[in-house]
Amino acid sequence: MTGEVLTDDPKLTLDDLCETCGVSEVTIRAYVAEGVIEVNGDDAGRWRFSEITLVRVQKAYRLQRDLRLNAAGAALALELMSQIEALNDQLERLKRIRE
Amino acid sequence: MEYKDYYSLLGVEKTATQEDIKRSYRKLARKYHPDLNKGADAEAKFKEIGEANEVLSDPEKRAAYDQLGDAHQPGQDFQPPPNWDAGFEFSGSPSRGRSEEEAYSEFFEGLFGQAYQQQRADRARARFNAKGQDHHAKVVIDLEDSFTAAKQTIVLKVPELTPDGHLVVRERKLEVSIPKGVKQGQLIRLKGQGAPGLGDGGAGDLYLEIALNPHTLYRTDGVDLYLDLPVKPWEAALGGRVKVPTPGGVVDLKVPAGSKQGSKLRLKGRGLPAKPSGDMYVELQIALPPADSTRAKELYESMARDLDFDPREKLIREIQSREQDHSNA
Repeated sequence: MTGEVLTDDPKLTLDDLCETCGVSEVTIRAYVAEGVIEVNGDDAGRWRFSEITLVRVQKAYRLQRDLRLNAAGAALALELMSQIEALNDQLERLKRIRE
Repeated sequence: MEYKDYYSLLGVEKTATQEDIKRSYRKLARKYHPDLNKGADAEAKFKEIGEANEVLSDPEKRAAYDQLGDAHQPGQDFQPPPNWDAGFEFSGSPSRGRSEEEAYSEFFEGLFGQAYQQQRADRARARFNAKGQDHHAKVVIDLEDSFTAAKQTIVLKVPELTPDGHLVVRERKLEVSIPKGVKQGQLIRLKGQGAPGLGDGGAGDLYLEIALNPHTLYRTDGVDLYLDLPVKPWEAALGGRVKVPTPGGVVDLKVPAGSKQGSKLRLKGRGLPAKPSGDMYVELQIALPPADSTRAKELYESMARDLDFDPREKLIREIQSREQDHSNA
């Protein structure tokens, strides 16, 4: 079985994204406003999202739902998580150099 | 079925107030949320405390659970007494936040399942179409697998709904070929391999997130590879040719004269085989030869005598100029 690798080409519409992630348009608009996901332009009708976005939306939504966060809180959590991940990578690397 | 001590799972006393329970649950939920906690058992733990919270935060269910008494130990085999819940009224449906396909423990199902099973079965029979849930799984591969389209066998645990509304968990094995050139964090979608839909709704998708095992030599950044390469002081100072391991084999690399500690050299196209392929960056780490023989000591001593080299010159100058600024002020 071979899957498709998700790309960062912007090809999903707002409707596509809502349907695939099972979230409302209001949620997506909040994520765009908070910078959880990237989009070009103000006109929501012309918004195009990459497939990578799917996973970010789903993760933000899980955090929001399970931990009772709002969109800003979910955005902050995602940001801090990626910072921690980068720091851990760096730490691992420094540990290896010392060995 | 196994008895579960919901109070100890949430770390609260039997006398805890609803407020205590809520606080404790929220704290634990943040700690064990599978998106935040990468520990292997975080997801199971998160489900467990969710279930404990579902029972204890609901006064009806808590009262029913409490009257099972103190005689049971966690993990002990347990059968609910016949009609144990007579006289209790359960009004809620499974709480928001937990979708129906997520399995509860056998213990929970045994106690509170019946009321919901009827609802589930009703819903499953209704003419209702919905796309199935998407599933997520992490696949850990070796860096080398990214160079050869490797096959990976993935085992998934899938909760399924039987026609009479019972939940069963089935194991499913998938053999997936990992495309060449995948990088850390990349996502692969397997269409229709998620949870089955309801009615005419199609099945959900399965998303695989690629994680690369930390490699002993290389680290990755996107499609680029980084290697810390130890060099001799004279190779860095005078320049020279050194052998460098790359995933595609050993290559010759020219180190320019006057290279410094941490200098980066690029091997074009030696990174992950994407389109376009990544590069490999070699970061020079100057290694010092030990002064462990008379000859080595002599060489160090003659350098100390003959070289006009002071790596701390800048530091001393800096501190002197600060002192001057202070006395002028």
